[in-house]
Amino acid sequence: MQAVRTVFAAALALGLFASTSAVRAQDVIKVGAPLPLTGALSPEGLKQQRGYNLWAETANAAGGIKVGGKPYKVEIVYVDYASNTPRAVQVAERLITEDKANFLFAPFGSGAAKAASGVSERYGIPTIAATASSREVYDQGYKFLFGTFTPNETLIDPLTEIVSKGDPAVKRVAILARNDLLTLSLANLMQAAAKAKGLEVVMMERYAIGTMDHASAITQMRGAKPDWVFATGYINDLILIRKQMADQGVSPKVLTMIAGPAYKEFTEATGPLAENVSSASWWHPAVRYKGVDLFGTTEAFNAAFEKKYNVVPDYAEASAAAAGAILQLAIEKAGTLDPAKVRDALAAMDLVTFYGPVKFGPTGQITSLEPPVFQIQGGKPVVVFPAAVKQADFIFGK
Amino acid sequence: MRDWLLLLLLALACSLLPLAGDNYVLRLGTIVAMYAVLAQSWNFIGGLAGYPSFATAAFFGLGAYTSAVLLSYGAPTGLAWTAAGGMACLFAALIGGAILHLKGHYFAIASLAVGEVLREVVNTTPDLTGGGMGMNLPVPKLSVAAAAQTFYFSMLALAALTTAAAIIVQRSRLGFGLRCIQQNEDAANILGVNAYGYKTAAFCLSAVFAGMAGAIYASWVHYIEPPDVFDILLAVKPLVMVLLGGIGTVFGPIIGAFLLIAFEELVWRSFLTIHAAMLGGIIVVLVLFMPNGLLALVRSGLARLRPAGPKP
Repeated sequence: MQAVRTVFAAALALGLFASTSAVRAQDVIKVGAPLPLTGALSPEGLKQQRGYNLWAETANAAGGIKVGGKPYKVEIVYVDYASNTPRAVQVAERLITEDKANFLFAPFGSGAAKAASGVSERYGIPTIAATASSREVYDQGYKFLFGTFTPNETLIDPLTEIVSKGDPAVKRVAILARNDLLTLSLANLMQAAAKAKGLEVVMMERYAIGTMDHASAITQMRGAKPDWVFATGYINDLILIRKQMADQGVSPKVLTMIAGPAYKEFTEATGPLAENVSSASWWHPAVRYKGVDLFGTTEAFNAAFEKKYNVVPDYAEASAAAAGAILQLAIEKAGTLDPAKVRDALAAMDLVTFYGPVKFGPTGQITSLEPPVFQIQGGKPVVVFPAAVKQADFIFGK
Repeated sequence: MRDWLLLLLLALACSLLPLAGDNYVLRLGTIVAMYAVLAQSWNFIGGLAGYPSFATAAFFGLGAYTSAVLLSYGAPTGLAWTAAGGMACLFAALIGGAILHLKGHYFAIASLAVGEVLREVVNTTPDLTGGGMGMNLPVPKLSVAAAAQTFYFSMLALAALTTAAAIIVQRSRLGFGLRCIQQNEDAANILGVNAYGYKTAAFCLSAVFAGMAGAIYASWVHYIEPPDVFDILLAVKPLVMVLLGGIGTVFGPIIGAFLLIAFEELVWRSFLTIHAAMLGGIIVVLVLFMPNGLLALVRSGLARLRPAGPKP
């Protein structure tokens, strides 16, 4: 019994200590960030956190954010929601009501961002979603939600264009999709786009979230003899699918995977198997923009990111940092922390950042970005579209 | 009589919460009430009959989706919530026929599979349920505070209703029969207890309220997707709560729900990333040191305090 009491006392004491240590400082802008720091989505959550941290540190090093001539320090309040969407919703409410966050960054991905946006909308707290792209997130008629990813079809359309123009022999398409909001939406768009280009969709399969063996789907895929395999999922899913495809000897002319290959971890985990895998993402370090934000140019952002983390930033990290930069620009423009005024500044925004041109459509989703298509060539992702930042031609397999 | 009085006092005390706390406290209160419903539901089949069911998540999700689909066709909220309970109950009666003749681990595994099957069914019917893309529910046209209170009181009322059912069942022939089944099903059968009918009744009771809790939950968060409402934790946590509070008792599940959520919140607040490990550790300690739950511990403590007095 004594032991139980000791454990209880220790837990209570730790809890009280931790909650009192976060005393609120003066002149601070609090941004609440619910993130999946543990659980299945933790790789993505940690990436987003890196982007936010880089923004906050850069802003604070430059003296903070000027609001009506007065500098405010940025404080990001992180709460882990363990990759569990209901908990993300709960976190959003806690950040607003208990932690008194002035603004919010949405949780990771389309599903959680959509679920949590209801809370920030009800409280009228401007929320920037750094990793939510599906139209369904923004078509709810909400006024306080803004997203830095263009709709999903902006990833699919250039790809189908390149492939169908590049090799007329590519006829049969097999689609394998993670049964999740973003990834399923991409697969449905791919199916539609392929049909529109006169390609034959010979397989359209969904796999459950958390699937650890794709053998049966890939056996079916091998039977369908596709020229083009289009697989969607997050990084862990796609690494597994790529390896199992190799195990079963499925080697199509074109292999497209979204949204894993944009990450360096994908190339590291799959090695030579990553070669010629094509993908598209909302941003790539090879793009070049001259921004008015705190980072300035894309090169300067890349350099700052590499200096801090020793890796090249990927689209999720850049988007997270951009979300911060965009919020900062809106606050400075509004000259106040009043949520409604900052919301109006976001809605009216039309400028260029290191991330690209930023202008939000009527639904709050960004409309000004042109997402690059890229391919792993020689172990590195190279941009093949758009023409302005193109580094190499698309390579077809045999 | 004592149980009814306790329930009344508890419900009254809980209905004062909106005076004391902000919306986040109300959200926590709603979560506690929701888990109290789930724990109480599990107690019918798991605590009384001794059948370790993992189907709670299945009933919860089924209720959530039934109600969401009905609401999307314009059904009134009250009807949708009730229908969700009915649907879960009906489903339990049907599925109970298939799996209630299994015992022990076999039953546990089969009940676990029920939720997974339902999840896949929802996943593969995107036209009706949105599949993996989830479902949006109509947002109630209420202010933030009014919405928080509405859902808190709805969930609280359901928890009170579930507890009332528990009190009635505990004292009825059904409760007695279920305890007999738990102790020795063959003997119970020989003594004339209709074991099969009783078990099915308990399984249905464990479904109907869980289904309604799912329906209220869906309206509350107004966006559901299969991994959220068929989450295995929705089946595991109620079980831990009942063990924590006191298995087979009327108020144990409520106490367990309150304690586990309170622990979770405390641990989660204090540790950014290792909260799951901390919580796991706490659960292990609790189960090791209080195998019969907190109520049993309190009772034995009370008994020790008055060794001379007559046993109540």
